Amino acid sequence: MGLYKDIKNLLLGMKITGKHLGRHAVTIQYPEEKWTMPERSRGIVVLLSDKETGELNCTGCLLCMRACPSAAIRIDAPRGEDKKRHVKKFDINFGICCFCGLCEEACNFCAIRMAPKYEFSTENKDDLTWDMHKLQEMGRDVDYVDTRKKKIPKPKPAIEEKPASETKPAEVKPDTPKQEENND
Amino acid sequence: MPLVLMSLELIEIFRWAYGLLAELGLPPVWVMLISYGVIGVLMFGVLALLALFLVWWERKVAGHVQQRFGPMRNGWHGWYQTIADAIKLLQKEDVDIIARDKFVFFWAPVLCFVAAFLAYICIPFGKDLIVADLNIGILYIMAVTTFTVIALLMAGWGSNNKYALFGGMRSAAQAISYEVPMVASILTVIIYAGSLSMVDIVQSQNSFFGWFICRMPFGPIAFVTYIIAATAEANRAPFDIPEAEQELVAGFNIEYSGMKFAMFFLAEFINLFTVSAIAVTLFLGGWEGPWLPSWLWFLLKTLGIVFLLMMFRWTYPRLRVDQLMEFAWKFLVPVTFANLILAATMKYLGWYW
Repeated sequence: MGLYKDIKNLLLGMKITGKHLGRHAVTIQYPEEKWTMPERSRGIVVLLSDKETGELNCTGCLLCMRACPSAAIRIDAPRGEDKKRHVKKFDINFGICCFCGLCEEACNFCAIRMAPKYEFSTENKDDLTWDMHKLQEMGRDVDYVDTRKKKIPKPKPAIEEKPASETKPAEVKPDTPKQEENND
Repeated sequence: MPLVLMSLELIEIFRWAYGLLAELGLPPVWVMLISYGVIGVLMFGVLALLALFLVWWERKVAGHVQQRFGPMRNGWHGWYQTIADAIKLLQKEDVDIIARDKFVFFWAPVLCFVAAFLAYICIPFGKDLIVADLNIGILYIMAVTTFTVIALLMAGWGSNNKYALFGGMRSAAQAISYEVPMVASILTVIIYAGSLSMVDIVQSQNSFFGWFICRMPFGPIAFVTYIIAATAEANRAPFDIPEAEQELVAGFNIEYSGMKFAMFFLAEFINLFTVSAIAVTLFLGGWEGPWLPSWLWFLLKTLGIVFLLMMFRWTYPRLRVDQLMEFAWKFLVPVTFANLILAATMKYLGWYW
């Protein structure tokens, strides 16, 4: 009978909405609750620092700047008297950045990386340009595998000879065990 | 514990307050005027708050059916969201369009609002808790709630907008069509109650099996047809063609803004509560119930029916105009009249219990 079928279908609809009423909501309350981003997800671009010294890994080779298709990266790294580049300025304009990840691929020194962070909205467009220090701060807690360590040790003595008189090595040593504990 | 709860009758508070007022030694006319004034203001406040609560509840139900949360920001689960909305609407600019019919445009929301409130004069909220027990109670309610149709038609005409006019005309056509099965299903109750007074109707169903919904076989049929017709009367989905957001933008209230819109909106939710309250009074035994105070029973039952109507809204798709009319005239009217004849025959032959 048509009427019987109609009533059955109406009740079926009510049953389905009733079932959904009891289920837990799939949305999350954004500022209070947040997604846990996957470890290797690609959000904002950050600059990585050396795990031991805390210095920037960046050597100022400008590869990322050349690789950037939208010219969002501006680096000012003039050669110093030691004929090495010293990074003075490293700005990324997130207003232009297209998050393609080419800078990350171009980098040979584990210096630039896309981190699993995504909150960088501002009230002012000018604030979207992040300078070196901000990028470094955002990259502090990003865990990474340091692939460049194998190559670095050879020139290391040459670097260490020059600032040997300074007290830097003494400061570094007590920090290292702490960081390792944290990483474990 | 049940005895303590039973004694929490709201009517006692009113009797005590009236006693205090009578002792002041004012002329009787003043006593009457003051008491009716207080009751009027009280009803207005309670119903406005109730409408705000229903708006919030509707949004919560809608959210949870769609596995969202609904309003969550203001207070616990957004409980004062609608209060904030109402205050916002009060402050908003009253946009006055140039090409409108001024008189009709202005008075339509007022009439809609007043018509929604008028029905509460003879709805029994609890034992003795009724403003005026008119001996034509249900007839009065049916007559007064029909004013809403005129108000919506006025809004549609006054706005000088084709969508608004469509909404108003559809509203009139729908409400008049569904009034017929609605009254026919109410008549089945009236035959057995033997009275049009709301209090008498409640008192004639004094036990659970005396509720009109439990009177086989005509009771459940009358209840279901009443609920369907009431959904259409309250202009709610699946019968919300007068405002049909997708086709008529917002129908009759398209040109209204600020407080005028808020009046339409509140009136809509008060109408929702009205039809639920009538359903409870006529079919579900009104305030009757054990253990709890009578007003609480009434409120619980009514909110249950309101919840049912809300679930209808978020379950069923909207009907087309021709389907709507076909359903009213070709299905509901014959069914309710057959049911009415059945009930009348059983009453005449003395087969009922």
